[in-house]
Amino acid sequence: MRRTSGAAFLLSGLFVCGLSCGGSGPQITVGSKNFSEQDLLGEIVAQWIERTTDLQVRRRLHLGGTFISHRALLAGEIDVYVEYTGTAFTAILEQTPVSDPDSVFRAVRTEYADRYELEWFAPLGFENTFAMLVRRSTADSLRLRTLTDAAAYSDEWVAGFGSEFMEREDGFRGLSEAYGLGFRSPPRVMDLGLLYRALASGEIDLTAGNSTDGRIEALDLVMLMDDRRYFPPYEGAVVARRAALDRHPALRTALQELSAKIDTDEMRSLNRAVDVEGRDYRAVAGDWVERTLAGGG
Amino acid sequence: MGEIMGELPLRVLEHVYLVGVSVVLATAIGVPIGIQLSRRRSLRGPVLGGVNVIQTIPSLALLGFLIPVPFIGGLGARPTIVALVAYALLPIIKNTVEGIRSIDPAITEAGRAMGMTEVQLLRQVELPLGIGVIMGGIRLATVIGIGVATIAAFIGAGGLGTLIFRGISMVDRGVILAGAVPAALLALVADWGLGALERRLSRWNA
Repeated sequence: MRRTSGAAFLLSGLFVCGLSCGGSGPQITVGSKNFSEQDLLGEIVAQWIERTTDLQVRRRLHLGGTFISHRALLAGEIDVYVEYTGTAFTAILEQTPVSDPDSVFRAVRTEYADRYELEWFAPLGFENTFAMLVRRSTADSLRLRTLTDAAAYSDEWVAGFGSEFMEREDGFRGLSEAYGLGFRSPPRVMDLGLLYRALASGEIDLTAGNSTDGRIEALDLVMLMDDRRYFPPYEGAVVARRAALDRHPALRTALQELSAKIDTDEMRSLNRAVDVEGRDYRAVAGDWVERTLAGGG
Repeated sequence: MGEIMGELPLRVLEHVYLVGVSVVLATAIGVPIGIQLSRRRSLRGPVLGGVNVIQTIPSLALLGFLIPVPFIGGLGARPTIVALVAYALLPIIKNTVEGIRSIDPAITEAGRAMGMTEVQLLRQVELPLGIGVIMGGIRLATVIGIGVATIAAFIGAGGLGTLIFRGISMVDRGVILAGAVPAALLALVADWGLGALERRLSRWNA
């Protein structure tokens, strides 16, 4: 009696494999980080590969941030995801921020190829920079337009950031040094998605969001200009494992076709459809792929 | 909202699967370790110290470290279960040790005096008497596991965390609750079910 229950314990361990070990045929795994724009881009890349090649696509979307996604790519758990040039340059390669887009892209492409055997494709055509956000009422009453303007008032404010922003080379520390930003208390660290609401409801006074995020407009927030050009350019581009690209030449062709297909306005409107209008990201991505293929892209 | 409700059963099943498998595995690993520790005082400090340290590792970091590890790592259900087992070991091991150690030495001495072997002593005296405390550890591990399993969403293993984090990023309270309320109900049901099992086990043994 007790022996059987011991065997049952061991058997249930084998089921762990049952869920995740299967799969056959040439398969490409597409990943993404855990915010709406990334879900959309992951789904766009996945559907694009499905529509333009014979490859099977497995989705591993909404992974927990840059750290997890990059490690998953290195380990071959995913083959492709969309990264931002500035993020790769500062958060992964740990370089000090530089403001020229082309030199950032070139540096990232070379370093990724040499260090990790990963290939960068030409950027997708949009930029998603850190947006330093305040409420419109704050911006209007204090006549704030730039981060330099904000530095004069920031010591009365409470700031809130995502944990990634707190740690990154191009994040909080460098930014506060560049502008002499001081706050009433150490910044509150919370989930990216909660920050927008916390700002809108007055829990915090300043946060770092994504410039392409639809909620900036929806929650009536204002983006302060990075007048000292502290942030590097963050162009979205596809990164893929060289091993997968060499094995499937069709994959390389398909991913190349995506370059320069989504400009910043288009990215913003795709994000808005998901975050503000509440549409399903799969449907929004599907529409985009449909439209782009029909438009002779 | 309709879509969310359609997705809910799958997320609940994934959640139950992740927690269920990990608690069973953690029990299979933790109870024998706890029994050994109750007999060997010298090992108790280092082993309990070790499982204590595991508790302090942030879940995202633990999952990140597991990705490149062959066999137990990667993305999806497997590394999530590994992480959940790691977090469940502390309450299970600790309660097993306490459950056995809390038995009046006079009772175990009496057993020995009657000529019981170590195995008989364990099966007929220590486990039956300690079952309440041991099950308490498993119940605690299960309830904590149901909360912690939301991290599965970070590495594509599904579960109710998927809804909770999606709701957070959509700034949509309804979606957050669609994940959080079932998680809370699961915790209540699991605790109640294990409590019933515990009562049965102790009655059966008595």
